[in-house]
Amino acid sequence: MELNVVGKNIIRVDAYSKVTGRALYPQDIYLEDMVYGKTLRSTKPHAKIKVDTTEAEKIEGVLKVFTYKDIPNENKHGVVLKDHEVFASEKVIRIGEPIAFIVGETQEACEEGYEKIIVDYEELDAVFDPVEAMKEDSPKVHGDSNIILYYKLRHGDIEEGKKKCKYIVENTYKSPMVEHAFLQPEAGLGYLEEDGTVVVAVATQYPHYDREEIAINLGLPEEKVKVINTNIGGAFGAREDISIQIHLALAAKVLKRPVKVIFSREESFLAHSKRHPMIMKYKTGADENGFLQYMEAEIVGDSGAHASWAINVLRKSGVHATGPYVIPNVKVDSYAVYTNNPFTGAMRGFGATQVSIAYEQQMDELAEKLGISPIEIRMKNIFRKGSMTATGQILTDSVPLDKCIEEVNRDFQFLEESEEGAI
Amino acid sequence: MVNISLTVNEELFEVSVREDLRLIDLLRDELGLIGTKEGCGEGECGACTIIMDGETVNSCLVMAFQANGSNILTIEGMEKEGNIHPIQQAYIDVGAVQCGFCIPGMVLSTKALLDKNPHPSKEEIREGISGNLCRCTGYNKMIHATEKAMEYMEEGK
Amino acid sequence: MTLKEVYNGRSVEEVVGLLGEYGNGAKLISGGTDIVIELKNKKITPKILIDISKIEELKEIREDENYITLGSGVTFTEIIENPLFSGNLHGLYKACRMVGSPQIRNKGTIGGNIANGSSAADGVPPLIALGATIKTLSIEGTREIPLEDYYIDKLKSNEIIIEVKFKKPNNNQILTFAKLGLRKALAISRLSIASLIGLNEEGIIESVTIASGALGKYPMREEEVEEYLINKKIDEKIIEEAITTLQNSMDERLKGRSTLPYKRVAVSSILRENLEELIKSRIEVEAW
Repeated sequence: MELNVVGKNIIRVDAYSKVTGRALYPQDIYLEDMVYGKTLRSTKPHAKIKVDTTEAEKIEGVLKVFTYKDIPNENKHGVVLKDHEVFASEKVIRIGEPIAFIVGETQEACEEGYEKIIVDYEELDAVFDPVEAMKEDSPKVHGDSNIILYYKLRHGDIEEGKKKCKYIVENTYKSPMVEHAFLQPEAGLGYLEEDGTVVVAVATQYPHYDREEIAINLGLPEEKVKVINTNIGGAFGAREDISIQIHLALAAKVLKRPVKVIFSREESFLAHSKRHPMIMKYKTGADENGFLQYMEAEIVGDSGAHASWAINVLRKSGVHATGPYVIPNVKVDSYAVYTNNPFTGAMRGFGATQVSIAYEQQMDELAEKLGISPIEIRMKNIFRKGSMTATGQILTDSVPLDKCIEEVNRDFQFLEESEEGAI
Repeated sequence: MVNISLTVNEELFEVSVREDLRLIDLLRDELGLIGTKEGCGEGECGACTIIMDGETVNSCLVMAFQANGSNILTIEGMEKEGNIHPIQQAYIDVGAVQCGFCIPGMVLSTKALLDKNPHPSKEEIREGISGNLCRCTGYNKMIHATEKAMEYMEEGK
Repeated sequence: MTLKEVYNGRSVEEVVGLLGEYGNGAKLISGGTDIVIELKNKKITPKILIDISKIEELKEIREDENYITLGSGVTFTEIIENPLFSGNLHGLYKACRMVGSPQIRNKGTIGGNIANGSSAADGVPPLIALGATIKTLSIEGTREIPLEDYYIDKLKSNEIIIEVKFKKPNNNQILTFAKLGLRKALAISRLSIASLIGLNEEGIIESVTIASGALGKYPMREEEVEEYLINKKIDEKIIEEAITTLQNSMDERLKGRSTLPYKRVAVSSILRENLEELIKSRIEVEAW
């Protein structure tokens, strides 16, 4: 069969526009009569707030300062749980949470208005450690419990598995919060079409979700909202949540003028999600022949102040907790937990990345105890065609992991070096 | 406001600018040269790289009035008579372009490097683009693109 | 906007006049790699900004029989590309090459590196090790200040640094430099050390000046290590002892700082790199 794309060197359709500088990202669009917006964000992790915008609105060139009072309909959004407020109303739950949106004729007017907004914070006890946050008496970020998800996986018989093990290694691993740092900071443009349709031009991973959320917040039918996806200057998961979309739509609709926002790098850091930091307690055991018999893992993911994709991410961590290894007896508990930290969400790998730090290190330590090489222990235990995963899935299609390890080993000459004791 | 004159992409501009305007804002907001990108605003990412008086600079770290009398090349000036520069063609051909936001600056750093040193080693290429961050591809594709560009330039393509 | 007027300075004389007139309200800008960010973040709010980046007389590199003089407007790139800074001045070349990125080095100047006053300025420790002096000019006249005193005896608001000058090292002296950054490019020094060491024919240290960056409030001489090293013959034991001596001075100076435990460990390889580079260049010289 002749394939059109596979195996061929295909030139990206947008490569020409990008090497010539013609490609339009949201910050590159300039419209007539355009005004600018700037977001005022919380400087406290957990506090009751009172906001006074009177003085700011008196500044020459400031057109309006939007707060939660200006949201026509629901003041909530979120990809899975609606736990973001468009603008914080009663309290802020993280540093960087939007409180107000200043729109002015120029960026300088917005800056001046920004300085004049008075936010009165009454600080509340905050929680930053997800393990602390799971306790009953911890400060609560939303509602009565900070636990967003408890995912439970049971496979085989843990006690029986443990008995078969000659060696068990037990460790706790912690992975850090990570920023995506895509190169193009968030920017966007909101404007009205002649028939009143609200248009938002933005670099987003979910134009269809954005449209739905804007329509709900503004109390508009979806067909009166249009989201134009421009060129996207990197995303890596951090453009899955709403950032500026609703603010722009609201301001354009009320002021009936094109409104543009460009985040600084610093604001970009404050505004979007991060990778979940995880605390991973692992016990992994192998029998005297080097075959894995048992694994127990408890994984706690810090979701920060909003759930975003935490449910999916920590479920994925749980599902991937064994790594690509056959283990007949497995117990996994994974939790996603609210804290007052910056919120975390999607990032390349979606929860599968963090656990690899833990399960691979466990393999290396077991190999050392068994006196075999890191390659050998993996070759004994990897998924192959026909293997069963801890979730009970039989792998029926291609599972070329053995070939991959062999190739890597050949190029790295891992075995030879380790036999000489160099590793 | 202060009056300055500068040459950008071989065209002379006489403009009146705010005292506190940065060169990047002059290029983008006043001259409409939006190919120059702002990624960090503090000289870390290199997306705003332009060639000023023969050398690469971060246009976010130059004040507009400092460019008085300067000769500037931006990504828009890389095309001649409707043809893109061999460096640009090489970036396209090797697949060095993903999100594209770093690309204008990366292309200009590549040009400045090859202008000074037409046959750089891999290490010299790495050094030459070390002030330009890319978050999508890693840097091997840019190194390949630079090597490909050297070939194209020799062939006179 | 607080900025009222900007000037494209054409000569040092003109700039000195403007500084005399506006003093505190004025700021000089050259490469702009630090000051533009400070202006944007409103960390500084001058009324007058004077560009000195295009003043030719500040861009000269002069060599006479005994001295090398760098105009304050000389960029890091210009230092790197000048063959004067190979050979036994390699340490200065190396320090300048490790600054920022090509874009930063194309704009950033040696005068700006000094005037900005950062303790992590890469260009400064090699110059302190060389015993450099800076020359300033104001309407009150000129001043010459040893660079190592500059951080105590700061610039007055009406002064401009016009040049940095140092005595050329002897043939038996070698300037070395090492820096610890978090990555290869675009890394602000976590710590840096430069040393100018003269060895006699028996390999005994007969002159030594060592300067550090980011090991205190400002770049400074490491006199205790100098005292320890003088008149010694470099070997593994001496290197170890020199490291311990430096760590002891740091313990005193950085007491209570959260970075101390880290820097205490890190400093050992940075000082070692200096001394080993010295041994290596000496061997190369001998072989030659």
